[in-house]
Amino acid sequence: MKQCFFSQNNIQYVDYKDLALLKQFLNPHARIQGKRKTSTNAKSQRQLAEAVKRARFMALLPFVAK
Amino acid sequence: MSTEPKAEKKDGERIYEVGYHVVSSVAEEQIPAHVEKVKKLLAAQKAEIISEENPALRPLAYPIKKAFGGVYKTFDKAYFGWVKFALPEGGDVQAIDAGMKADADILRYIIVKTVRENTMYSPKISVFADKDAKGKTIIGKPEKAAETSATAEEIDAGLEALISKEQI
Repeated sequence: MKQCFFSQNNIQYVDYKDLALLKQFLNPHARIQGKRKTSTNAKSQRQLAEAVKRARFMALLPFVAK
Repeated sequence: MSTEPKAEKKDGERIYEVGYHVVSSVAEEQIPAHVEKVKKLLAAQKAEIISEENPALRPLAYPIKKAFGGVYKTFDKAYFGWVKFALPEGGDVQAIDAGMKADADILRYIIVKTVRENTMYSPKISVFADKDAKGKTIIGKPEKAAETSATAEEIDAGLEALISKEQI
């Protein structure tokens, strides 16, 4: 079974500026992928969603693409 | 990232980060003045600056409108910078927020609670010049083994010669 990326890499705070990291968890439409797809644990998935939404507000990531 | 040792936490101290976009109509020479403005706001609350990044021009993911005296201007790029700071007990983050809001040249800003440690995780994402190579296993060139033409005895002899020279 695939392990949580964040706990594997010991990431305890997901930064909204870390675009290369966040983009790994977006689909081509720039939507956040589900927990089932990302295989992250619940806490990390919540942090990830928060970070992506912050990045969207700051126009670092798009709300919609394509 | 949390791999660094945890810094000691002072009582009542809160760590924040302010990220901001300065409008692209501002000349690049004027940017340091804007950074100073932000820092002045922080200094007024006796904030200790932990880390920062100077504003750099970057394209926005979507156009943002801002009103200048009743006329909307649309921006598709802006100077994005951020400052991470520690606010001592009694420091007012609302005042910083109000100060950022009052600045007419700040297109958009965000204040978030964060941690003192570096939070940027730089994954080793390979950039492929060749699209076909994506997803394939890249086998690195095997490291050349150091040439060991000298035998153990030769090395010993060489060492002894060196030692004897030093003694002289």
